[in-house]
Amino acid sequence: MANLKEIKRKIGSVKNTQKTTNAMKLVSSAKLKRTEELAKRSRVYAAKLTELLNEIARKMQQTNTNGIDNIYFREVDELQKVDIVFITADKGLCGGFNAQTIKRANHLIETFREKNVKVRLRAIGRKGIDYFKFNGIELNDEVIGLSSAPDFKKASEFISEVADSYANGDTDKIILIHNGYVNMITQEVREDQILPVDTPKLELNNVSTSELEVEPDDDDTLLNALVKRYIEYTMYYSLIDSLAAEHSARMQAMDAATKNAKEMVKTLQVKYNKARQESITTELIEIISGMESMK
Amino acid sequence: MEQMKLEIITPNGMIFDGEVKQVNLPGSEGEFGVLAGHATLVSTLDTGVIVIDKEDGTELAVAINSGYVKVEEDKTTCIVDGAVALSGSDSELSKALEEAKELLKSAETSNTAIAAAVSKVEHIGKSF
Repeated sequence: MANLKEIKRKIGSVKNTQKTTNAMKLVSSAKLKRTEELAKRSRVYAAKLTELLNEIARKMQQTNTNGIDNIYFREVDELQKVDIVFITADKGLCGGFNAQTIKRANHLIETFREKNVKVRLRAIGRKGIDYFKFNGIELNDEVIGLSSAPDFKKASEFISEVADSYANGDTDKIILIHNGYVNMITQEVREDQILPVDTPKLELNNVSTSELEVEPDDDDTLLNALVKRYIEYTMYYSLIDSLAAEHSARMQAMDAATKNAKEMVKTLQVKYNKARQESITTELIEIISGMESMK
Repeated sequence: MEQMKLEIITPNGMIFDGEVKQVNLPGSEGEFGVLAGHATLVSTLDTGVIVIDKEDGTELAVAINSGYVKVEEDKTTCIVDGAVALSGSDSELSKALEEAKELLKSAETSNTAIAAAVSKVEHIGKSF
């Protein structure tokens, strides 16, 4: 009889868990919709900004025979110091979402260490910070709260600091890792080179025929300002992208958890029924054998 | 009069997309007007007010903090960090005016530019 009671209690607790995971799934799907909308709106801005940067860079390349002579475009011959910025979520319960980003970051650190390149880490999001702290790896920057609520101003403040250390020569390269949103069921770890600006990616080979006038009449000033805006925006967009991916990953994880709970309730119910039948049979046998002995 | 396409894009989305007659922009080297058929130009924009002459003859003002503009013959694209359109009914307008002033004051440029832009916004507010 004690067994029966126990099974019943178990069913109740699993059902409760199921309710929680289901609610979390619904919350995530609502949040995902909102984040997706935000990403969609800011994508236009990102596209236009990149287009403009392309055009200016192209113009400078055409007028300058030895390529673009701007600090943000200069590739160093021998890489010595690298900054890795990576974005993870502040919260867990989203499947392998954070683990994937951390794995990629670890992999990248390994590759750079093999080449004797000094690596500095800048972490955004509590989960990544916790992981590297637990493993005794030093972090240069720890930002909490930005990945769960992307804010353009805060994001640009953060990345400006990183960009300053690039301009000062403290670092030769800045790489940004985040887990990006592909669709409702897939996320993809993305690795972007923030600085120096990835020129091949900008498709500089398209020859433009239009004469471009620039105001203020100093390409460098304009380019500097544009690059700054460009990286700020890349940072902000990556945060949004990461948030969308986080929600979709959580939605998936919670969906799986709900399904598992359902399955578990089913097996527990079968177990319960069997135990109940068993106890009835035992009782019947007891009664019958009692009657038999009375005869 | 010939029309041209104007787009104003902020990080939060597109706030203007349509055909216009003329647009006045607060360039960092001074204010300038753009008509259809303008030479290709790229300029930085300072804190100020964009005044749009729409195709139906009405005017629309948009307060911005900073950004860039790319002018092509038949298309002008403004990429700005923050913008508030000054339009709508009276109650909406007064709210928009307040927002615009907030936005202008938060900009990181010289005080004179901000003051000029704020007074311009106030002037527009009165003229409606």
